[in-house]
Amino acid sequence: MPTQYITLKKNDPDFLNHLWGSKESNQRAIPVKTYNLGTEEESVTFELKEISKIQKPSKLKVVASLVKLKSFILILFPLFFVLAKNSVDNRFFDPHSMLLVSIATLLLFAGLNIRNDVYDHISGFDRVNLDSTRKPIRLGWISAHKASRISLWLILASAILVLPVALVQIELPRVIAVALILFFAGRFAKDNSYKNQHFGEFILFMLIGPALVSGYQVALGSGVDTEVLAFGVLWGFAVLYLIQVNNFSHIMTSSQSGIRNSMTKLGFDWSQKFLLIGWVVFIGLWVLFHYFYSSTFWAVFGSLLLIFWSIPMFMKISNIKSPMGSGLQTVRKEAYKTFIMMVFIFFMEILWALWADII
Amino acid sequence: MNYKIYSPQDFPAYLPKLNMLFDDLFSGGKGFRSKLIGFVSEPLSVAHSTQNLLAQTIEFIHNASLLHDDLVDRSHLRRGKKTAWLKYTPEYAVLSGDYLLARVMVNLSHFGNIKLVQYTSEMISDLLEGEWLQDSVVGDYFVTLEQLDRIHNLKTASLFKWCLRAPFIAQENYDKELHFILNEMGSILGQLFQRSDDLLDYDIRNDEGKAVLGDLKSGYLNSFGAFMTSGMTKAQLDHVIKSTTISELYLAFSNNPEAGKKAFTAKVEEFDHINTKLIDLYNHHLENLDKLLKPEQKALIKNLKPLTEVLYWRRKPSA
Repeated sequence: MPTQYITLKKNDPDFLNHLWGSKESNQRAIPVKTYNLGTEEESVTFELKEISKIQKPSKLKVVASLVKLKSFILILFPLFFVLAKNSVDNRFFDPHSMLLVSIATLLLFAGLNIRNDVYDHISGFDRVNLDSTRKPIRLGWISAHKASRISLWLILASAILVLPVALVQIELPRVIAVALILFFAGRFAKDNSYKNQHFGEFILFMLIGPALVSGYQVALGSGVDTEVLAFGVLWGFAVLYLIQVNNFSHIMTSSQSGIRNSMTKLGFDWSQKFLLIGWVVFIGLWVLFHYFYSSTFWAVFGSLLLIFWSIPMFMKISNIKSPMGSGLQTVRKEAYKTFIMMVFIFFMEILWALWADII
Repeated sequence: MNYKIYSPQDFPAYLPKLNMLFDDLFSGGKGFRSKLIGFVSEPLSVAHSTQNLLAQTIEFIHNASLLHDDLVDRSHLRRGKKTAWLKYTPEYAVLSGDYLLARVMVNLSHFGNIKLVQYTSEMISDLLEGEWLQDSVVGDYFVTLEQLDRIHNLKTASLFKWCLRAPFIAQENYDKELHFILNEMGSILGQLFQRSDDLLDYDIRNDEGKAVLGDLKSGYLNSFGAFMTSGMTKAQLDHVIKSTTISELYLAFSNNPEAGKKAFTAKVEEFDHINTKLIDLYNHHLENLDKLLKPEQKALIKNLKPLTEVLYWRRKPSA
């Protein structure tokens, strides 16, 4: 039995129904090719698959892929930092609000991760920049329509949870307002998602760095201080670095599709240098942060350890020769490994501080 | 048809060795791309002089890419003969390739269709981009099939796309939808041709007796190689890289040669399966193309339909 295909143009009334999967009965339309992406002539060829014949892993794996469980470290570690810091400083004023905000952030993060995948699916970004990550919508495990509904419920639940905290901690609405302004500015500034534009890169840095930790700290009733803001800058920089590495791994396909970000603008050779310098700057920020807010032991030992663990990544970035081969994926993996190592050093340092506080 | 000469000015006799080099170059080869021009042009009733120009254009470009390719790869043989850079000099090989590309532009601009000139230039730049990228993945044994597909789409498929679209452009038919479909069909034909050619390297349907494991030995993991090795352990991959014969390669799958051969055959079948889906996609585009053609042009469908059989399965079209 030959595979069934259908090609639809953007102006076809069925185009969005197929993309969203909103009117599916027993067949799911899985996009296999997108043409003239982002133009009026855009069209997509879908493979029509029997839903019952789509191979899916366990539900747990589907959910983990859908909410991008692996990326939760990006919001969990800042939470841990804020909790530990305020515990050591004896400024743990409102644990109930903190608990509610923590759960709300997790739900919001999961919702936004799904939303991002839905956006990438509808915009065609995930069909241009194919990568090794399993995308449930692209693989047909779930329709974009259903995923979108789940994400809306998660975001709504998050808003409901944060509401009582906003009434108790009067500073929180201000932080949320700033975050929302940044969020919508990024959303509507250009027609690409955050990771694909210069302004968006800055907004992402603000949201995942200073705004996130300020929100946590305010929810605790402790107000914002310079240490937490400095940590936010450091964290935002590290996350943004991972995003730049990810964009670098797609540099060729992104350039061909007209996606504009720092990497596509710099080009292959300069991006390579930019990434090398970028991590040197991060190490500099790390040293400064530890010089001001940590013990001499951790400032010296932690920094040396980080430099030592960064060497393989520096080597991999320097040795990369092609925008097409496996080298890009290796760089991406190595950058993630270095990031995890950095978090591990920080984690040990915080445990040390907590232990010292107890004894 | 003599593909070598379009215009008397093409290859001046006073340049030493130039004509000898081109005689050698054009005497071999199946001329499939120029035949494809004929398959498309005839049903459209494209004037024979124009067909000749288009056929020669694609052969000039293809042969220019071979001249450069052989030098880049340091290949010693082309169509069973000594390669141009070895027989003459590397300098002559580069210059004669450049010369062919220049003649293409001269002849096309004489024809006077600026869109054809523009499209041809884009195709040449795609071809070179593909060559550049392919060279950058030599020695990369972790390259993926998807990445190689993108390279082949630039390097191989760009010529197939051109063969399908150029006769329409020469007739000043610039219908967007039509060209979009032809572009996709060309892309699939190029991909199928490349994948089938890559299978020859693993002695699959190798009726023309191409040297086995040539790509692998020169450090290039071709599309089937990338497909076959995806998910292999490092030890298995090492075994594949060191293999000098197909029987040795089987042992990468299992210590038992029979079981290894069986696993290898299963991989080939899996690869054939994904390409069958690609052929289905080609046929889907062919149906859409049929709707856009005038009644007198419908013979084009009949000409294009069997190409997947010829290019991928390397057999004569079934009835």
